Order: sequence, then C-alpha cells, then structure tokens
Amino acid sequence: MAGSTETHHGAVAVPVADADPTADWRGQFESFAVGEPGRAASLVVPVPDPDGWDRRDTVLDGVALLDGAKKRVAEVRAASVRGLSHRAYGTVRQDEYGFRRTSDGRHLVIGVADGVSSGKHSHRAALIAARKGVEMLARALRSTGPETFPWADFVRAVANRIERSGRDRLITKGVADAEGMSVREVAEHLATTVLYAVVDLVPVNGAHDVHVVSVGDTSAWVLRAGGRWEPLEAVKNDGAELHSSSVQALPMVPGTAPVPVRTTVAPGEALVVMTDGIGDPLGHGTGAVGRFLTDVWSTPPASGLEFAAHVGFSRKSFDDDRTAVAFWPVARA
Amino acid sequence: MESEKAKLLPFYLVIDVSVSMTGDKLKQANAIMPAVVDALADAPILSDKVRFGVIDFGSDAQVRLPLCDLLDENVSLPALTVRGATSFAAAFRLLRAEIESNVKQLKADGFQVHRPAVFFISDGDPTDREDDWRGAFAELTENFPIYPNFVPCGVDDANPKILANLIHPATGPKAMQMYLMQNGQNPADAIAMIAEILISSMLASGQSIAQGGSGLLLPDKQDLPSGISAHSSEDFV
Repeated sequence: MAGSTETHHGAVAVPVADADPTADWRGQFESFAVGEPGRAASLVVPVPDPDGWDRRDTVLDGVALLDGAKKRVAEVRAASVRGLSHRAYGTVRQDEYGFRRTSDGRHLVIGVADGVSSGKHSHRAALIAARKGVEMLARALRSTGPETFPWADFVRAVANRIERSGRDRLITKGVADAEGMSVREVAEHLATTVLYAVVDLVPVNGAHDVHVVSVGDTSAWVLRAGGRWEPLEAVKNDGAELHSSSVQALPMVPGTAPVPVRTTVAPGEALVVMTDGIGDPLGHGTGAVGRFLTDVWSTPPASGLEFAAHVGFSRKSFDDDRTAVAFWPVARA
Repeated sequence: MESEKAKLLPFYLVIDVSVSMTGDKLKQANAIMPAVVDALADAPILSDKVRFGVIDFGSDAQVRLPLCDLLDENVSLPALTVRGATSFAAAFRLLRAEIESNVKQLKADGFQVHRPAVFFISDGDPTDREDDWRGAFAELTENFPIYPNFVPCGVDDANPKILANLIHPATGPKAMQMYLMQNGQNPADAIAMIAEILISSMLASGQSIAQGGSGLLLPDKQDLPSGISAHSSEDFV
C-alpha cells in the first residue's frame, strides 16, 4: 500500500503510475458521497446475517433492449444495495427488484419491492413481489393490455403467494399454528411494499406510455429533460408532525382497488422506480441528491456496476437499503 | 437540503442539581455525558442520527448543553454544579420550550424528527407546589403534538409515588417506565447505572429504527444493572 492515500471517507485511491511505471493496468474506484457522508459511511464494519448466507449484499444489471432489427429501443439499469444499517447490524438486504420484457416484446415490466423492516422474513416477501410478481404480470399482459388490466386481482394474487410462502416458511421453522394465523399475523413475519411499472416499448410520437401501480411507499419518478424530478405518487410523510414508519404492505391487501398512475417517458428522459432508501434522500428531487442523480443519470451510466455505485452513494444518516431500476428510451434514428 | 429528510432521534437528559446532589452524585452526573460520547463513538449508524441535549435544574432550570451532535468536534461538555432547590416545574417548562424550538429548527433544516426521549434524574421531592409541577408536566405531555417519551429515574430520597406520575406515555403499547435505585444502593453508583440504561436505550432505539421502528426502546427488566428496578405506572397508584 506504499504511496496510497486515504480519502476523507475511507476509500483508498492508489496512484498507479507512481507505484510502478511498468504496471499494465489502469482504473480506480472511489465511492460517491453527496454532502456530508456521515460517520457510518467510513466506520461501519459490514457483517453477514448468520441466517442469510445466500442473500447477496448487492445485485445489479445493465442491459439494452433491442428491436427486431437489433437496434436499441431502450437502456435499463438496476441495482439493489444493502443499507449501511443492515450491514452494521448483520441483517440481510430486504429490498428486491425484478424486470422482464413480455414474450411478445411489447412491454417492459418492472417491479421494485421494499421488505418491511420489522418482519424477520420480509426479504422473502420482497423477492416474491418483485420477481414472481413481474413474471406473473408479464405473462398476464399477453392477453390484456395495461389499460384494461385487472390490477386488483393481480395484487391479490401476489399477496396470496406471499401469504402462502410465509405460512410455509413458518411451518418449516416449527411454528405450530402457522396455518391458523390471520393474514395480519403472517404479515408480522413477512411483508413488503411493491411498485410495478409497465412500459410500452412501442412509442407514440416518440414517447413511451407508462402505467404504474403501487402498494406502500415505493415510488416512481420521471427525470424530465432539464433535470426536473417528477414523482408519480404522492411524496410520503409530507406535513406529518413527527416521522412515522407505518406503511401499507402485502400480504395485507389495500382496502381500495389500486388505480394505475399513467405517464409517458421520451428520449432524453428516464423512468426511475426506487425504494424509499433512495426516495427519502431524494425528497422532492430539488436538493443535493436530486442534483447528483440528475448529473449521473441524465444519460444511462456505462454499466450496471457504475449505476450500483450511484445508488450506493453515502450521505449522513441515510443508511437504509437502496434499490432503483431505471429506463432510458433511445431515440430512433 | 430543503427537501431531503434525514431522520433524527433527539435525546434529552434532564438532571437534578439541587444541593442534595453535592459530592459523588454530582461526580457521577458529570460522568454521564462522556459515557454517552464513548458509546456513540462506537456506534456510527446511531451517532449519525442522535442529537443529545442536557438541561439541569435546581431552583431554576438551565440548558447546559443545547441539543447537538455530541461527536461534533466543536462541542464542549458542560460541568454541572449544584444550585438551590428542586423545581420540577422549571425543568418541565424549559424542556417543553426547548423541544418545541429544537424540533421546529430541525424540521426547518430539512430533518425528519423522531419523538424526543427524555431521561429525567432526581434525588428528591419537588420543592414546587404540587399543582405547579403537575400543571407544567401536563403542558409538556398533553395537547403537545411533539410530547416526549418521558422516563423518570429516582435515586436516594426520590419519592417513587411522585416520580410515577411522570412516566409518559403511562399506558399503551409504547408505555415508558420508571427506574428506581433499590434500597441500600449507593446513590452515586445508581446514577452511573441509570447512565448505562440511557445508553443501552439509545443503542436499542437506533437498532429499532434500522428495523423500521420509531419509538424509544427501554431495556428488558432482566437486562437491568443490579441495584436498579424498573416500574410501570400501575406499580404506584
């Protein structure tokens, strides 16, 4: 490590040329920080969850979607990063994402889920909602378009799967009365918020139609040209006297049927679906984090790895799991 | 910062410095703040979120450490000294004013604020008229949306029947507790033990926030230091 320098938040930047002028490699990694990174960013010692060895700390993707002529229709980046507090306390990442294109190539389906922290098995709820939910939704879209889609039935079906999985898990864990529990009791062990976005990959006048349905406080945004962050759902906790952590979450099914929010996203813009780990520091999108994400996401980052590094920026006291899936339409030549 | 909302957890220590606190009790009272600093230095997740303030009270009440980030290098810890009588009413009134202005300021600075937690330590009876301290406590806890979670702690000659009135909330799922020095215990040691309870509550609450909770978590009864007992409001009717 001779010649290395420690930066203010602990990342070690190695000046390659000084170390060995004949070395035939280059590159460096330095993590992102917005404003004051906080003590946790450099001092947290990440430890594993003794019950979660196969639960990855960070997952990421970076892909392009092509049309029949192998031309790019859109770029997709996704990352789910375990939060500093979960790293410090040795608990698994409870966020999850899923995305897939329908088999007819017409739609991209995105799911982002945030397992409710108080449930020991909530990451399983998030997995089902994000991955299985997206699979179910993509399959169902072959017969019905998003305009006429039976969203309430779909959300209920996802909830049922989570509930079933929860009971099975509890039975495996030796909980005698797992079958007799109410859904509310099951939800104390595993629950998740989820947001689904369905993007029409065939643009109308250049713009892609987007349908968004959510349960709980996961949010969808469009990063408009000029760097304006436009939320597709009400921003949470506005006007509350003190912070409250209560959320709507599956397998509890909302009392009112979910109503899709519609928008469009065009080349030069991005649709970003995110959990509150990144939505909270983004706030209304007008502060330092909004500026940062505008700067780095006005065009698609080069790779999923780079996108994950953006998602994992440090900022004092924001230590929750972070997940984002972003969609950038590509202009047709 | 105008739109981003970091979550903060305000903790207040409100401590009796009436003349009866002279000697080892005062020495232990002064040891509380450095102990909290040490605990926070080892808990970076928590130390990014906790704000800590100290109010002392004798005949009057004074803010000795304005609510702050204890690990901030510009913070210097005050030295508590004894003065006068034991005015609970003055302490409650000043605490209410502090909470109101601190929370207002933190929110103006763009923070989300968890419900404040108060550890109140006394070694004797209030010297105010009963209707006076009761009235001041009611103003702190009733019709005040940012009322604190209030944990009274009694050592030496503190009267459990009086302190039990200060447990807030007294009932419900988020009910607080009262901590009392057990008979025969050295009161100065008891103050050090109460400091331990304060610190473990702080650590547990930080972990609870990480797990989606938002309240003050007090230690389980079996985890209390020996020499201290925990009581709910029903224990003294």
